[in-house]
Amino acid sequence: MRCLLGLLSLAGVVAFGVNTAQAHPHVWITATSELIYAPDGAITGVRHAWTFDDMFSTYALQGIETKTKGVYSREELGSVAQTNVESLKEFGFFTFARADGKKEKFQEPTDYYLEYKDAALTLHFMLPLKAPVKPKELAVEVFDPAFFIDFKFADKNPVKLVGAPAACQMKFQRPNDGTANAQKLGEQNFLNGENSSFGMMFANKITVECP
Amino acid sequence: MSPKAHSGWARGLTICAGAALTILMLDSAIHALLAQTPFGGPRPNAEPQVGGIVGWLLSKQSEFYREMSATIRAAKSDGSAVWTLLAISFAYGIFHAAGPGHGKAVISSYLVANQETARRGIVLSFASALMQSLVAVVIVGICAWLLNATAKTMCGAEKAIEIVSYALIAAFGARLVWTKGGGFMRALQAPRPVPAMALAAVAHHDHAGHGHDHHDHDHFHAHAQGHAHVAHHDHGHDHGHVHDEHCGHSHGPAPSELAGPGGWQRGFGAILAVGIRPCSGAILVLVFALAQGLFWAGIAATFVMGLGTAITVATIAVVAVSAKDLARRLSGTKEGGGALFMRGVEFGAAGLVLLFGVGLLFGYLAAERVTCF
Repeated sequence: MRCLLGLLSLAGVVAFGVNTAQAHPHVWITATSELIYAPDGAITGVRHAWTFDDMFSTYALQGIETKTKGVYSREELGSVAQTNVESLKEFGFFTFARADGKKEKFQEPTDYYLEYKDAALTLHFMLPLKAPVKPKELAVEVFDPAFFIDFKFADKNPVKLVGAPAACQMKFQRPNDGTANAQKLGEQNFLNGENSSFGMMFANKITVECP
Repeated sequence: MSPKAHSGWARGLTICAGAALTILMLDSAIHALLAQTPFGGPRPNAEPQVGGIVGWLLSKQSEFYREMSATIRAAKSDGSAVWTLLAISFAYGIFHAAGPGHGKAVISSYLVANQETARRGIVLSFASALMQSLVAVVIVGICAWLLNATAKTMCGAEKAIEIVSYALIAAFGARLVWTKGGGFMRALQAPRPVPAMALAAVAHHDHAGHGHDHHDHDHFHAHAQGHAHVAHHDHGHDHGHVHDEHCGHSHGPAPSELAGPGGWQRGFGAILAVGIRPCSGAILVLVFALAQGLFWAGIAATFVMGLGTAITVATIAVVAVSAKDLARRLSGTKEGGGALFMRGVEFGAAGLVLLFGVGLLFGYLAAERVTCF
């Protein structure tokens, strides 16, 4: 009987356990971000520039009418940009901020637009905080919890502080190499709903300390 | 209350209680899981928890997927790159099916719940993968190629289909639970010499004489009159089984019996529920190929991808069926208890299909999310 149960559970592991091999990313984003500060030293929001990969850029441009073939103006891309920011809301803009350990919320994006260059689309948008904050320690993470999107920050100047008090110190931490991270998948990812934090291990973390 | 009504009532009650219990257990399990890694909470342990295989699978499929766009671009000027594209797509399909969203779990559970043969498992795997590829090609063919719809519209269609697919899996699972619940209940009642139950058993024995004829007759019906009779057919099948156990020999049906006329139609529900949902990766590849003026190459890649997927799903399905066969042979030596155990396994597998459908529908389980943005 014990042998039998073992066998059945083995079959179960083969059939369902392989689910731990989560969906791989389908969209790759190369990001740069700026943290925007008010003159009084409070942080007001994050300005993102996200460049999509070749395949997704092409996909997003499907069906978009242009005057000149292959050339997309900011206006022609307006509807796509709007779709982008509207849909990103559902995912919290993949941007998660904590001021002194307390979760901060964002408002709807402002100044958003898409740019098409070298066969790639770049989405620019400003993400204002609900209310400006002046924490000692600020942490901003950028990642997709479901890991449908792989966020990689640009090699050069990934993060900038704009107008921050001189004493503030910024640290930027990239996720480790994807292969190593994937090995961390365990039973806790077995049932991986959209609310779970599978993608957290792929997070890019910005920390700013202002004494 | 007649014995028949009593048994129906008891069966319904047991199924409800079982379902409620499972949902409760699942719910608390999920809460426990979520609590383990609260959003923004402590990061997962840095120690690798699973061997390198999973990580390797994940990085491999990612690699293959990323190579596809470059290969399609290359194929524009160099036709031979199409062969590379097909090779990559095939490999991608094999690796990719190991991830969620390709019906491994649904198909395997269905096979275990339904006394299916390994051969049928292979056919089901290939048919559903083929359908998945076909749906992806049809969506992109109609939306992007014919109507020149935007990505937003196309993704909306994808999302709608996804919901239909999950609902179908849930409905399919509910039907399995209903039929298998009956078998499980009868197996539960059979070995107990309680007077009330004995009555029910006698009633069954009355049927025993023409049980097999009835069975064959149903087969014929299902075949002649199409899908509408599939449920009927299943019932007839179960009936035949119970009769077997009552007579004291608990062997399963011969494979030829299952592959008989109309037998394949039972699998149709599984193929439809799993295959109707296209793979979002295939859609991206197809749209990209279309934009490069190489739609045909994208279509070829999609079907080759499906072939790779089918091989993996079929392998897993065969493992599941073989494990159950072995379990049946081992438990078959013990009278009564073994049959109960097997009915229990079937009931459990049926419950799993239902849980998958419900879990997917309400977002507890994430298959490959369709992200529209």
